[in-house]
Amino acid sequence: MHWINWVIVAVYLLVVVVDGLRRTRGTKNLEGYFLAGRSLPWWAVGLSVMATQLSAITLIGTTGQGATDGLRFVQFYFGLPIAMVLLGVTIVPFLHGAKVFTAYEFLEKRFDAKTRSLTSFLFLLSRGMSAGTIIAAPSVVLSAIFGWDLTWCVLLIGVPTILYTVIGGVEAVAWADVKQMVVIVGALFAIVAVLVMRLPVPLDDALRIAGSTGRLKVFDFSFTLTETYTFWSGILGGTFLMLSYFGTDQSQVQRYLAAKSVDEARSSLLMSAYWKIPLQALILLIGVLVFLFYTFTPAPMLYNPRHDAALREQQPAVYAGLEARYTAALAARDQAAREAATVQGDAPLQVFREQNAALDGVRKEALDAAAAATGESSRDVNYIIPRLVLDHLPLGFAGVFLAAVLAAAMSSIAAELNSLSTASVVDFYQRWVKPEGSDSHYLAAGRVATAIWGVFAMVVATYAATLGSLIEVVNRFGSFFYGSILGVFLLAMIKRTRALGAFVGLLAGMGAVAAVSFGAPQVSFLWHNVIGAVVVVVVGSALSFGRGEQDERPLRAG
Amino acid sequence: MSHFQSTLVRVLVIQVMTLALLWLLQSRYTA
Repeated sequence: MHWINWVIVAVYLLVVVVDGLRRTRGTKNLEGYFLAGRSLPWWAVGLSVMATQLSAITLIGTTGQGATDGLRFVQFYFGLPIAMVLLGVTIVPFLHGAKVFTAYEFLEKRFDAKTRSLTSFLFLLSRGMSAGTIIAAPSVVLSAIFGWDLTWCVLLIGVPTILYTVIGGVEAVAWADVKQMVVIVGALFAIVAVLVMRLPVPLDDALRIAGSTGRLKVFDFSFTLTETYTFWSGILGGTFLMLSYFGTDQSQVQRYLAAKSVDEARSSLLMSAYWKIPLQALILLIGVLVFLFYTFTPAPMLYNPRHDAALREQQPAVYAGLEARYTAALAARDQAAREAATVQGDAPLQVFREQNAALDGVRKEALDAAAAATGESSRDVNYIIPRLVLDHLPLGFAGVFLAAVLAAAMSSIAAELNSLSTASVVDFYQRWVKPEGSDSHYLAAGRVATAIWGVFAMVVATYAATLGSLIEVVNRFGSFFYGSILGVFLLAMIKRTRALGAFVGLLAGMGAVAAVSFGAPQVSFLWHNVIGAVVVVVVGSALSFGRGEQDERPLRAG
Repeated sequence: MSHFQSTLVRVLVIQVMTLALLWLLQSRYTA
């Protein structure tokens, strides 16, 4: 990569870290460190929520998905605006009004300590591991693209993030998120502009070609429990997933607890509601434009350079055979694409579709051969956009793009570390170990906890390849309780529900999702959250209203 | 009207416009 690109990356890192280090004024006490003194404006909180959710793998993986699969993934986000509006009128006023540090603390005020501790523990378990995978995913890509050692990539992303998160607390995290969001969106628009200008045919004709392969098909109205990306799974399953994520996950809740007022907290969530679908559509559209770019420019057979080299070295004859067939198929598709762009009608598009399918067939064989040679899935889709940026975009773009990838990774990790630290200190250390400590003592504990979680995440990231199956187990376990925790919060909104109902309901919800997950694995994971939440509310309500004793602790919204 | 309510109206408008644009894109270019 050219030195100018490295200068851009260095300037970005310097600005984010130095600004984070400067924001220590508000971190004299625990509320300042974890909640920025509940003083942030709605638009900063909103951008922070969006930056947290937009991880590096969204940036590189989703564009790759757009290139190979088209726009239909955007349906996954259809429930998001609905969830944000529902949260704005339900959970947000309760949480903000309760003046809590964590979402789980609210559950002790409403139910009891064991429900709080269990939900907080489940959060720490799943998010602790996912912080590692959030660092690992872009590190693996950077390591393969630049040929660096994985550990150095993990350190490049992890160390600056830990530094400004430990020192500046949530205020540094939120303001860094704002800058990171600007870098990310700027990079996306720049890439769109370059890709459109580089098309050798008019955009309208190019889109006709993309459309002929089904990549511009957005809406699928079929109602099936087994297909993940349909209009209905997005609207229903997506709403429950987003309700769980934004309503009960501390990494998100902590953002809007830092807002000045309930109205500002709600408005910050609506900012995500505003922009998430258009932004996600833009990211996928970039993928479609990348597909079109590589339709008229020779595309690599394998985008993952490490897998390409491994296959070439280990099975030179197989590689040469595949490469010859791939080159021929590429030339045939190129000719068909140019014909389809200039000649109107369905016949040339049909020829293009056939040639494109033939090319995909050869590429699939190459991917399978590479996977067999290396013993691992190539995740080739994650390498499409980095290769395009490095190989084809003008000078400076690679620097901006790399800065955007680092920004996306850092903003997500910072939020995870900050929220993991908050839950550890407030829900466990302060609650069970040392309830009578001074504010400065807890502030120091918060900093130590952030650093420990940061180091833990980097260790997990470094060993992510070997920990692969363990991480999958934890992620799968995580999907068992996401919807169930939402169910507990919904139960908290219902008058006269009780602690026993909440705790047993939570266990029943998790059990139900586990049963569906193992008993009917074909049911898409988007429906797991719906099942979990509904079971908790039904079981919890039945137990609450079916028993005589009262242990109700009503709580008013603020 | 509170800030939340006025933002809510704008959210609805943007979502409808985005979905309409995606629908137009699909119906124009997908057979």
